[in-house]
Amino acid sequence: MASSYMLPGAQQAPSFHSHPSTASQPRQHHWSPYTENGGVILGIAGKDYVILAGDTRSSEGYSINTRTARKIFDVGSGLVLGVVGMSADGEELARRVARKIDDYKRSHDKHITVNAAAVMLSRILYAKRFFPYYVQPLLGGLDENGVGAIYTYDYVGSFERESSRAFGAAASLITPFLDNQINLKNQFEPGSNGEVPRKPGDMPRETVEKIVKDAFTSAVERHIEVGDGLQLVTVMRAPPRAEGAEPEEEEDEREKTAGGGVISEVMSELKKD
Amino acid sequence: MSAGKIYHIADYLLLAQLKSIVTAELLKEIKNESNPFTLNGGACLAMAGKDCVAIACDLRLGQQALTLSNNFPKVFNYGDVWLGLTGLATDVQTMHSLFRYKVNLYRLREEREIEPETMANLVSSTLYERRFGPYFVSPVVAGINQRTGKPFICGFDSIGCIDFAKDFIVSGTASDQLFGVAEGLWEPDLEPEELFETVSQTLLNSLDRDALAGWGAHVYIITKDKVTKRLLKSRQD
Amino acid sequence: MCCVAPDVVVVASRVAGLGLGSGSFGIRNQARVHETTTSPTSLSTLLASTEHQEPHLGIPIKMNQFPHGWGRPRDDVYGAYDSSYLNSSEPTSHTQRPIVTGTSVLGLKFNGGVIIAADNIASYGSLARYDNVERLLQVGTHTIVGAGGDISDMQHLHLLLDNLLIKEQYPADDHSLYAPQVHTYISRVLYQRRNKFDPLWNSILTAGADPKTSEPFLSYVDLRGTTYSAPALATGYGAHLAVPILRKHVPDEESAASLSLEEAQGLIEECMKVLWYRDARSGVSYSWAVVTKDGVTTGNKKIEKQSWKFAEMIKGYGAQNI
Repeated sequence: MASSYMLPGAQQAPSFHSHPSTASQPRQHHWSPYTENGGVILGIAGKDYVILAGDTRSSEGYSINTRTARKIFDVGSGLVLGVVGMSADGEELARRVARKIDDYKRSHDKHITVNAAAVMLSRILYAKRFFPYYVQPLLGGLDENGVGAIYTYDYVGSFERESSRAFGAAASLITPFLDNQINLKNQFEPGSNGEVPRKPGDMPRETVEKIVKDAFTSAVERHIEVGDGLQLVTVMRAPPRAEGAEPEEEEDEREKTAGGGVISEVMSELKKD
Repeated sequence: MSAGKIYHIADYLLLAQLKSIVTAELLKEIKNESNPFTLNGGACLAMAGKDCVAIACDLRLGQQALTLSNNFPKVFNYGDVWLGLTGLATDVQTMHSLFRYKVNLYRLREEREIEPETMANLVSSTLYERRFGPYFVSPVVAGINQRTGKPFICGFDSIGCIDFAKDFIVSGTASDQLFGVAEGLWEPDLEPEELFETVSQTLLNSLDRDALAGWGAHVYIITKDKVTKRLLKSRQD
Repeated sequence: MCCVAPDVVVVASRVAGLGLGSGSFGIRNQARVHETTTSPTSLSTLLASTEHQEPHLGIPIKMNQFPHGWGRPRDDVYGAYDSSYLNSSEPTSHTQRPIVTGTSVLGLKFNGGVIIAADNIASYGSLARYDNVERLLQVGTHTIVGAGGDISDMQHLHLLLDNLLIKEQYPADDHSLYAPQVHTYISRVLYQRRNKFDPLWNSILTAGADPKTSEPFLSYVDLRGTTYSAPALATGYGAHLAVPILRKHVPDEESAASLSLEEAQGLIEECMKVLWYRDARSGVSYSWAVVTKDGVTTGNKKIEKQSWKFAEMIKGYGAQNI
């Protein structure tokens, strides 16, 4: 909006645009190893669950490459990784994390904890400090107490545990909405005359899922790189086995592959325009 | 490097080496220092409800990251019409006095108050007069047509293209955030008090995620025969 | 080496491991020794000639024959070799640009298989340099790889794929590579090359069908290692001109599963025609391939039933009278 007054190819006013604009030398073919594929992801940690969600549009410039690209990956041991930015780097990162988590399980004969995996991911990212993965990752899982955990990163591995976070193209649209609806920012207890802030943290999963869907339908309306489909991934505690019941084969298999939690995925539609 | 954002010199070399998108980020930073639309900061929002409209703004005036004042309202009143102006502060003030002058002349000539639809066209043509040397503002118009009783809101780009909306209009440095929250909270046919809550929550939560806007807010709730102006304290950081 | 006089040691050490003894190679190197030493007792006395001639042509040798500088200009002829360009602070950048290029590749899934097509032109800039180039490669029994972008990079990739197939084909074990494996392999190669800042300048479609389930497979990968799949895909201009047409008929996997082979062929024909009309780098003849569970069928086709009526409407670009 800010630059809509410029005619294509018009000379820019020198006082406001001081960066070089001349092209006196022959144009050199410049190649960048990076590209951006749009999309947005978010993660919300609850008392006993974690939700990671992302849209399924993958684009490059104004072209939609596909409407069915997943951005949230099951990386094993009950952990999920969301990646947004450059999809090739993102998928490579997810593969490496999944591989390392598998290695850990095989060499220690136990599932990695989410906090250990968080440090590991940080190291993987920092190892490429001088040629970074162009990816904003979100790591989700249940911690040793079965409490939901979201770890958020920058490109080169600095990280933090948070309760909610949006990353990607429409992060600036979704973040304040999440502040308000999940963390109850700027909300006060009715009748307290704005003295007692509402306390966040004990929201039922179903409510959060509704808010997540609202966040995405809103972002779809106002951001061209967001849309097509919604991938909603949940990590929950495995339901306790009935007294004396033999573990079913499938359940047994699940316990072997999942650490703290059981991962489930729901796909739904978003607007495609 | 010039004043403003400080990078470690090693990072500059690194970034340059990568010849990557990071370089584009750098350019963006340099460009931002001389972007008149984001120099002073500020945000504005208008919403339509059932037989009512609301318009609100923040109170910050800054120069880049430095806050100069926390009492710089960006919503102005001309009879039955309200005008929100974000962008370059000097242009905000210039446009305000220009429209006060123009609306006064309109009142003298027509012997009636200007209607919001008329104001919208006045704003548009005034901006387009400066097509090749524009005022760096993103105006918002809100009001209720006194003849028909219909709520009216609209927004503009800096050269006068009108954006008629039946839901809400956002402008300023927090426009991304405002779009996101407003799209999530707004619904049709809100009553005045509901509209006040919606506008205020939208503005407050957006301001809290924009370093260049905030430090208090003004909210106007306008019905056909009553206007309520409220001052929101908001975070003071 | 050990018997060399002390005053030549410095020089000799520069040619260490050379084996001054026999063959023309050794003799030429000794010329270097002669010129850089003054000792009358050194090996140089054996090599009195100061100006060595190329044995066959009788022209002076101007190329450095020492192994550490082989192929470079001789220091004594041209002065010290300027190697400053090798010590750049920039990362090594092999990044070229595409030279001889192919344009779009189209791919479309249908019920029980997938169809893929690419024209036979290889362009050198705007010149249609080669008009009989095959850009579809069959890999194994149930896979076709179609490439757009640089043709020599494509041919290099074909070499890799041929070698891969020889290495991985174990018919006795009932083990062979199918489209998903081939696509993953190509994507790994392309991603690794982009990580080396030395990309293979291609956009590639891999098409195939599972020999048992006849599940169609269609995937894209490009020079940055970006991969994606969809029921209808195209590279290059096809992404802008053909994909919208294909998507109109095949918006999702379900509709692809109810598309017949004939319908798919018709759609591809239509899209190739649109590209022939509007993509100036395209050609009038193209190769197509259909993969089903029974294997690959290929063919060659010319754009049929052309109508350039729309061209009459286009004015203002050429030297025509408006």
